[in-house]
Parts: sequence; C-alpha cells; structure tokens
Amino acid sequence: MEITRKEDNGSIILNIKGEIDGTNVDEFEKSLKESVSQSQNVVLDLTGLVYISSTVLRVFLMYQKQMKAKGGVMVIKNVGNDVMDIFNVTGFVKLLNIEK
Amino acid sequence: MKKFNESIVFKSIFGIVLMLAVFSLIVSSLGYKGFTEALLEQYADGAFRTADASTTLIDTDEMTSFILSGGKSERYKNTYARLSRMCNATGMTFIYVIQPDTTDYEHITFIFSTINENSGYDQYPFGYVRETTNEDYKNKYRRLYEGDSERELVIRDKGYIETDPHITAMMPLKNSAGEPVGILCVQRQMDSLLKSRNAYLKEVLIVMLIIALLVIFGQSSYLHKVCLMPIKKITDEAKRYATENVPSEKKLTEIISNKDEIGQLAHSIDQMEETIQEYVINLTKITAEKERISTELELATHIQADMLPSVFPAFPGRKELDIFASMNPAREVGGDFYDFFFIDDDHLYMAVADVSGKGVPAALFMIAAKIILANNAKNESSPAQIMESANQYMCENNKEEMFVTVWMGILEISTGKLKAANAGHEYPVIREPGKKFELLKDKHSFVMGAAETTKYHDYELQLTPGSKIFLYTDGVPEATDAHNNMFGTKRMLEALNKEPTASPKHIIENVNKEVGIFVKDEEQFDDLTMLCLEYKGIL
Repeated sequence: MEITRKEDNGSIILNIKGEIDGTNVDEFEKSLKESVSQSQNVVLDLTGLVYISSTVLRVFLMYQKQMKAKGGVMVIKNVGNDVMDIFNVTGFVKLLNIEK
Repeated sequence: MKKFNESIVFKSIFGIVLMLAVFSLIVSSLGYKGFTEALLEQYADGAFRTADASTTLIDTDEMTSFILSGGKSERYKNTYARLSRMCNATGMTFIYVIQPDTTDYEHITFIFSTINENSGYDQYPFGYVRETTNEDYKNKYRRLYEGDSERELVIRDKGYIETDPHITAMMPLKNSAGEPVGILCVQRQMDSLLKSRNAYLKEVLIVMLIIALLVIFGQSSYLHKVCLMPIKKITDEAKRYATENVPSEKKLTEIISNKDEIGQLAHSIDQMEETIQEYVINLTKITAEKERISTELELATHIQADMLPSVFPAFPGRKELDIFASMNPAREVGGDFYDFFFIDDDHLYMAVADVSGKGVPAALFMIAAKIILANNAKNESSPAQIMESANQYMCENNKEEMFVTVWMGILEISTGKLKAANAGHEYPVIREPGKKFELLKDKHSFVMGAAETTKYHDYELQLTPGSKIFLYTDGVPEATDAHNNMFGTKRMLEALNKEPTASPKHIIENVNKEVGIFVKDEEQFDDLTMLCLEYKGIL
C-alpha cells in the first residue's frame, strides 16, 4: 500500500494505491484519522487501489460517521472495479459518498 | 588462573624495573665519567708535582758529561740514586729522562730510567734506544723540545700488552742557557683509580638492585591491595551473579573502599545487578501475566467453539437433510461464526457471519451477534425481520463501529423452500441436483451494526432433493499464498466441483485441503469458516 497526501484549498486528498488488508490497515487508519481531524473535506482517491479486505470497511465506516458527526464531508472517488464489488456486496455503496 | 606474565602486577612491575634500569644506566655512566675525570685530574696533578720536584734533582748543565761518561761517573750515579729514591718515595712507577732524536722524533734514548721497586717492571739500561710508542708521544716530545709547551700529559687508560693503564707527565729539561737537553717523564699506574672506580660501579649496581627489589615487593603488594584484590572481588561477584542470578547480601561498594576507577567499576556492577534484578522481576510479572492471558484465551477458544454446534452428524434423527460446518480462527479466538438449529419441527435456521476485525474484540462482538440473532430468530418470522430488529439492537452503543456481515436462511423442510437474506456477506454457492456448484448473486443489503435504519430484504429459493448450499466467509476466497495471490472464488468453485455429489463433510474437507495446498506455509491470516447443507427432501 502507498498513501500520498495532497492539500488543496483546505481539503485533504489522500491517494491510496495497492492493497489494504489486515497487515497495513493500521497505517491506513492512522493517516485517515489524521486527515479527518484536520479538515472538513477529505477526498479519498482510490485510483490504483486493487483490493481491500473486510477489516478495512470498518475504517471507512468509522471515519465516514465521524466526518458526518462534525459536519464535514468524506468523498470517495475513482473506485476500481474490484473494490467497487466489495462495496456493492457489503452494501457500503449506499453508506459511503462515492463519486462516479 | 592467569599466567603471571599476563597479570597487571607483572606488567606494572616490569615497566617500573625497566625504567629503573634505564635510569641507573644513565646515573652510573654519568657517575663513571665524572668520577674518572676527577680522579684523573688528581693523578695528573700528583705526577706533575713529582716531575717538577724531580727536575730540581738533575743538574742540566751536566747532561753532556752524563752521556759522555756512559752513565758511569759518580755524579751520574748520585743523580740516579736521588731520582730512584724520589720514585719510590712518591709511589710513581717510572721516573725517566730521555733524549728524542730531534730529526724526526721516531726514536728516543734513555739517559735515566728509575723504577719503583714494588712495580715488578725492569728499568731500561743507560743509552737504551727504542722507537717512539705512538704519534701522541711523538707530537708531545716535539712540542716540549721545541719550546711550544712546558708540560704534557699522556693518558693510556685502556691497558696495553706491555703495561697496565697509566698516565705519563712530561716536562722539558733545559740547561742554564735555556736549551732543551732532555725530557723528564713520570709514569704513574692507574690501578688504584680503576679499583675505586670498579668499587663505585659495584656500589651503584648493588644499590640499584636493592631499590629494584624493594620496588618489586612494594609495588606488587600495593597493587595487590588496591587493585588486584578489589578486581578479584568484582570478578568473583560477577561470576557468582551469572550463575546464581540473585543479588548479593552486601553490595560491592560496601566491600571495596576504592574511590578510583575500580570503585566506579564496582558501582557499575552494583547498578547492573539492580537493573537486571528489576528487569527480571518485571519480566517474571509480564510472563505470568502473559501466561494468564494465554490460559484465558485458551479457555475463550473452548467457550467460543462450544457455542457453535459442533457435534456431527448434527441431527441424526432427521433424514431430510445433512449439514456440516467448521470454523478455524486465525488467532486463538475469531470473529467468524456459523449457527444452525431447528426453530420448530419444520424450520431450520442457519447463518454464517463475519465480524469486522480479528481476535478478542471481534470474538466479543461475534458472541453478542450470534446470541442476538438466535434469540430474534425465535420471535420473528423471516430472515429480513430478524436482521432488522437485531441490527437496531447491535447499533445501540456500538462506539467502536464494529459490524458483522451475515448470510441467514430459514429452510422449510416439508416444502424445500429457503427464505434468505444477505447483510453484506459473501455470495452463497448453490448446487442443483445433477449440476455444478455455482455462485448465487443474491440481493445484498448493508452490513449489520453499522446503520440503524438499514432495511433488509428476503429472497426465496426452492430446494429440490439433492440440492446443496455452501456458505463461507471471506477467509476462504481471500486466503493468500507466499506471492500474495488470493485463493479466489474460482479456485473455491473448482474445489467444490471436484466431488459435487460427496457429503457436506467431505466437500468442506476438499475445500480445506485445496486452501491448504494453495497457501502452503503461509500463516493463516483470516478466520476460515464454512457451512454446507444438503437437502434430501421428504423420503
């Protein structure tokens, strides 16, 4: 997994590439947590992300909720087919703000 | 025990003795030089006094008549006797008068030659001619004879074949007209000088030897006391601690009074022992704690396993169906579960679920989820309703945002009707009689425990006798090999279709086996849970 972080006019854009699973989910959670605490507008650019395990869904859910609670927006964009399947199967597609 | 020449005492004493030796060499050679010079001066002084006195005994104007008489005249004999007495009285070795051959000073002729009666040498007869001994003598004869000098000294302190080491004081003899008529020489042996010089050297050496011995003794006992003994104590303590691993009753700093580097070493060892002791106590505590946790976890594993139906065949009395299930957690306890039981005589409840995360937190949530679902199953009529009420319950106070994916079905045994709902779980696999196992892309709803208002939807399947349904968690398709390849649903279906007609137990064993071959020695990363049901219908 590889995370690059950009800031653009107050919003934070995280690009996540590769795979997120149980071995690196903590690292992903750490950078997402940091971004959510710093900005009202977080964009997760999933270009190049090919796999997430079910453990990772919990992290998406947790910070989606936190963001909503503090009145911010967390947007997910450029979701690849494999990851989209997982969002579809688990029903997360309805809960997350996925930009098509 | 160490060899002596490797010990600190040896090295330190060796160094001191070496320095002492160099020092005494310098002192004795300086002493030797000074001693020799001082004594030589005295010697020369005495010889010159004698020479001076002797010149008064000789009537220089008579020299020619002495020579002409061939050393036989009365006056010659008188003079000879007086010189001889002078020689014996002053303790000189030779007093003699010579005339050098003034053309080239290569030869000398003896006019008088007296000798000390205790010397053991013989005098030269009157008129004896010999070659000049060496250049030194030659030059000095010339200087005296030609008026360049009134006194000359020759030192021969090495010892020679014909004589012992000696000095010769030389003065010219001049007649009343002031012309040189001969040279008076006084030779004096240096034996007593050498003797006292040797004695001096001997004394210096003896004193040095005594000092060296004292230093060796003193230094070794001093070092032994202030250095070796404390070091030995420290070494012994370190050895003792290494084998016994308990702190000593008395600290090293209490035993050793040194305030120097050795004292610091002792202090460091004391501190080290204390630190290790604390560390050991801590480690023991942690180990005990770890053991306790691992015992408790083992117990939890049993409790968790006992919560799942695990006696197969599960319903020996029911010929209408065959069911088998297994769960292998990645850690001691897992977040997966399966469940099945008869709600009433005609309705079989079954569920397979996967809690997000692993380990103890997942296991706790899993137990709660299983119980909530099972309880609701008894009150509600359809899987979707069970899920909806259970979901509301799970969402309350779920601050950790744990959630669970569930596939749930209720099978009506009499009709083969299967009512099911999927809360974000993996697609089930169905095999109709005579066909292959295939993924059923069923209608999905959102996971449970994440959003209170989630709606769940039932769907219906008609099972015919010989139909099989296979349920699993993502640990199966996502099992990973060493190259990070995933097992995948394709391989899973292949494993299922190896023996599609086999019993549910056999089918699950097949999948387990294939997963094992695929991942080889890789650590199992996710929980692995499977359930397989075969509907046999009313017989």
